[in-house]
Amino acid sequence: MSAGGITAEPPVAAAPPASGGEGKLGRYLMVLVFLGPALFMLTVWMVYPAVYTIVRSFFGPTGFFGHWAGVSNYEQLWKDHNLRTAVKNNILWVAIVPAFVVAVGLIFAVLTERVRWSVAFKTVVFVPMAISAFATGVTWRILYDQSPSTGAINALGRVVSDAVSPPGVLPSALPSTPTLQQQSNGALLLRTPLHPGDVARLGLTAIAPTDLPKSAVQAVDPAAKQGDIVGVVWRDFKPGGGKPGVVEKGELGLPGVTVELRSSGGKVVQSATSQANGTFDFTNVPAGTYQTAVGAKTFAKSFGGYAWLGPTLITASLMIAYIWIWAGFAMVVIAAGLASMPRDVLEAARTDGASELQIFRRVTMPLLAPILSVVFVTMIINVLKVFDIVYALAPESTQQNANVIALAMFNTAFAGGGNFGVGSAIAVFLFLLVIPVLALNVRRFKRDV
Amino acid sequence: MAAAATAAEIPAAHDTVSAKILRGVAKAPLNIILITVGLLWLVPTLGLFITSILPQSALASHGWWQIFSHPSLATFSNYRNLFHNAGLVTALKTTAYIAVSNTLLVVILGAMAGYAFAWLEFPGRDWLFIGVIALLVIPLQMALIPMFRLYDTFGLFDTWYGISLFHVAFGLPFAIFLLRNFFVGLPKDILESARIDGANEIVIFLRLILPLGLPAIASLAIFQFLWTWNDLLVALTFGQNTTPITVWISGQLREFGSSIDIIAPASFISLIVPLLVFFAFQRYFVQGLLAGSVK
Amino acid sequence: MTRSRISALLVVSMAALLVAGLAAAGPGRSPAASGKNTTVSGTITFDGIWTSSTGQPQFQDVINAFEKLYPKVHVNYKPVGNNLPTVLATAVAGGHPPDMADIAQPGTIQQFVNQGKLKPITYAKGVLAKNFSPGWRALGTFNGKLYAVVFKAANKSVVWYNVPVFKTAGVKPPKTFAQLLSIAKTIQASGTPAYSIGGSEGWTLTDMFENIYLRTYGPVKYGLLSRHKIKWTDTSVTTALKTMAKILGDTSNVAGGTSGALQYSFNQSVINAFSTPPQAAMVFEADFVGSVITQNTKAKAISGFNTFTWPTINPKYSTGVEIAGDLLVTFRDTPAIEAFVKYLATPQAAAIWAKQGGFGTGNHNMSASVYPDPITRATEAPLLHATSVVFDMSDNQPPAFGSTAGQGEWGLFQKFLENPKNIATIQKQLESAAKSAYK
Repeated sequence: MSAGGITAEPPVAAAPPASGGEGKLGRYLMVLVFLGPALFMLTVWMVYPAVYTIVRSFFGPTGFFGHWAGVSNYEQLWKDHNLRTAVKNNILWVAIVPAFVVAVGLIFAVLTERVRWSVAFKTVVFVPMAISAFATGVTWRILYDQSPSTGAINALGRVVSDAVSPPGVLPSALPSTPTLQQQSNGALLLRTPLHPGDVARLGLTAIAPTDLPKSAVQAVDPAAKQGDIVGVVWRDFKPGGGKPGVVEKGELGLPGVTVELRSSGGKVVQSATSQANGTFDFTNVPAGTYQTAVGAKTFAKSFGGYAWLGPTLITASLMIAYIWIWAGFAMVVIAAGLASMPRDVLEAARTDGASELQIFRRVTMPLLAPILSVVFVTMIINVLKVFDIVYALAPESTQQNANVIALAMFNTAFAGGGNFGVGSAIAVFLFLLVIPVLALNVRRFKRDV
Repeated sequence: MAAAATAAEIPAAHDTVSAKILRGVAKAPLNIILITVGLLWLVPTLGLFITSILPQSALASHGWWQIFSHPSLATFSNYRNLFHNAGLVTALKTTAYIAVSNTLLVVILGAMAGYAFAWLEFPGRDWLFIGVIALLVIPLQMALIPMFRLYDTFGLFDTWYGISLFHVAFGLPFAIFLLRNFFVGLPKDILESARIDGANEIVIFLRLILPLGLPAIASLAIFQFLWTWNDLLVALTFGQNTTPITVWISGQLREFGSSIDIIAPASFISLIVPLLVFFAFQRYFVQGLLAGSVK
Repeated sequence: MTRSRISALLVVSMAALLVAGLAAAGPGRSPAASGKNTTVSGTITFDGIWTSSTGQPQFQDVINAFEKLYPKVHVNYKPVGNNLPTVLATAVAGGHPPDMADIAQPGTIQQFVNQGKLKPITYAKGVLAKNFSPGWRALGTFNGKLYAVVFKAANKSVVWYNVPVFKTAGVKPPKTFAQLLSIAKTIQASGTPAYSIGGSEGWTLTDMFENIYLRTYGPVKYGLLSRHKIKWTDTSVTTALKTMAKILGDTSNVAGGTSGALQYSFNQSVINAFSTPPQAAMVFEADFVGSVITQNTKAKAISGFNTFTWPTINPKYSTGVEIAGDLLVTFRDTPAIEAFVKYLATPQAAAIWAKQGGFGTGNHNMSASVYPDPITRATEAPLLHATSVVFDMSDNQPPAFGSTAGQGEWGLFQKFLENPKNIATIQKQLESAAKSAYK
């Protein structure tokens, strides 16, 4: 591949000739010096526990080396419904998140190269990494909260939704008698047939004290009028309950409610608005049978909020929070990679007339490949063992919907399960999952001439 | 567009006002996009900060954005209450010991191992490297019990260096992965000429690799410091009286009910140090370190 | 010496040794006059759930009083907070547990006892018998031996209500379940939902179930169900679930509806009932509700919030008390530990914390007048003289079934909240989850 004559090949780890006079022993001594301490620590702190875990996974639940359990611990992985959900979720995570994180990090790292105030931007993107997992859970809970009063996203949603379809004046009201029936569209229909000269009584309860109109006064049971249909819509409640369907002292009328007069066919013939004492009057009604209803608009509920942390959306919500955190990691590491791009190669390409995009694709990306590979593989592995964000952010009721392998392992082994045998088996399963990831990247890791 | 992109790096010999304006205008769409993205990115953090300066009772039924309509609610009482609790300074000191010591060790050991995997020849090198990366997958929780027994036997329980060593080990796989891949990208002719000149590996490592690897080492240091600064589980498990700041905070939380008036300010206080580390090290991401091939 | 002389000498020396031994083994020499004991010494490590916001200072006061009596003993308290089960499990499995710990789930203690990790506290039998009724002592008994002191208890058979809302609705606290249902309807008509449920935390739901079961079938059957001697598919469970559905199924009367209740944390459910304006009228939970109210809302005691006892269902079982509590256990046995355990069983130890609030005890030698305010007195006094006291059932179960987020009892009761009509299926699932946990 070439861009204007400049070739950029993926870097190779050649084997430069050993310094003269050292010989094999000297070389191996160097390896020991450079590699020894790290390998020692890894063996004691990581390999030993790994082996311990593998062995432990073949034994019973409690009491170290309780009894031999063979592969029965592993059978849990497909028998247990929660574990199956966890594996399914992790597959989703691996498929979606690492790619996003690397892409976003790359875009940010590249774009901020060209801006003078890149430090400020980088800081903003980096800060999420610096907040502890616990605090991140709290941070996003206050964004995702379903109640529009306390959750930022739903609050925004409410502003939009209520502007489009404003809530009614009595969103929580319920009928006080069975004759007043709730329709499918939310309206309340008085079933009793009415003729001119009748009185319609529409009693409502469950009206929140804050929804009561300030101008409401004592409800009045109107006197029947010849040729009219009169009625009252009132708050059929007084302390102790009172008698439903009867206007009593202490019960307030509901002003400003739009009442409809419907013909027996269901068509709205007239509408009237109730007065301060709740009364309304349909004047000069021709003979016939009618019904009255309070329109659905009165009971329109305010925006209730999306359940971001509910069973369907929880994993998506978690992923968004996770990307918000880890994009900073990708950006910083890739920026480090970009910082050490050999400038002379890029300059040569530019003077040769290559466009920025060509340079990016043909020169920058290949040189960046090892770093990108580090970020990508690290993210895949991190996502396979994702735990903190699920534990801290998902409410208990949806933790099983959002379950991931590391959380299942934690629950099984520690948080009450006490079953270290199965917990270890889950951990071993996690080790095994990473093998395909490594296998796919092996060629990239082995760079021999 | 190309002119604008490279203009930042090439010292402008004739930096007239009109040239500057032209550059600014051409960059406008980029700036707008970045500013928008930056602001959106900031919202959750801003929410947490505002939450930390609101009294808990105000947050019970209304969101943190109420501060825009009721700015008088803002108070630093949450922060003050946090400082009332004894042990904050000791906790900060302990955290510093643990975080600094293990970051140093991870950087040194990781760089040495990374160099070995990148530029030293020995049989089985690449398979060993793959094995090291595979260790990345080991979850912290599974190492707790086996290490507990070990620590108990060797008297490492409840010491800051015991906790620190744990973090060193767990930080090494990523460190080695990152630094090896980074070193592999260094121009090999530099190393070859150094070897031909007769320099031994240690000198090459110290005088050549480390300076060239500064961006990667800096980014590694930032994250390793950060991850151990924020660790809770290891310190809680292996400590009794040794309490870094995360443990100190968790020792304040309520059993029932929201402790947001503790978590929010505490996370901001705790945030300051890693942020300072970030500022200190991120200047190493300046381009041009390899400009003109270091000889 | 003649043989008889030798044997006589032997007998006398044995007797002397015996007497000396008995004298030495007697109760720790505390010269009653000064009250200080300087023969017992040592350090005790104590892992506890109480943090500096919830009980550590008060427990430290108890420790300080103890150390005054035993100046050579030092108790080293580690505030672990809600991570205690994990930390303790690791420490125990790793072979280095603390000397003592406070554990809130008897089910966990049963597991530790079965694994042989805990030391019995039979040396404290006398003190415990003097201060606690047999019912209370039974709570600390496992496999027939005494292992734990129930140091701190919370009365869970308590309901908190919003006083102004009750006044507006014109209702009084109910004595029976039927009355509860009827006032709930009246409260709803007055414009406020009656029930506030923090369904995102499963234990609020199991607590409701347990109170219903206790009041319908009494402590004996309750105990059988706790130990899985009665299956979850039993008809008694069906009846209890049907009763519970009368509350949960009244969805328009639950703050936030079903979906809201499923997402509200316990904390939020309390705030909902006592904020201005209130979103609900009643919260069915224990004494710790009080501190959540005072921290997050402006409601004041008596005028803003008050309590009533969980309503009666079956008049035969109207006095049962369900508690949650902290059981203090020991992983080792040293003279220092024994002294501390015995101290914790005394009314003086209980009084030190009780008078600061947020604490209840079953120590019937402590007078109820120690409690600092009338509401605490009303909620905690029943503990002192309770004859039938049972522990929170879900805490009694193996933790995998009874106290794991999203699983077992907690998870299944959340499913029940989602669909309270689904009784038969939930029972089957509860039974199968219980079976695998009890294996």
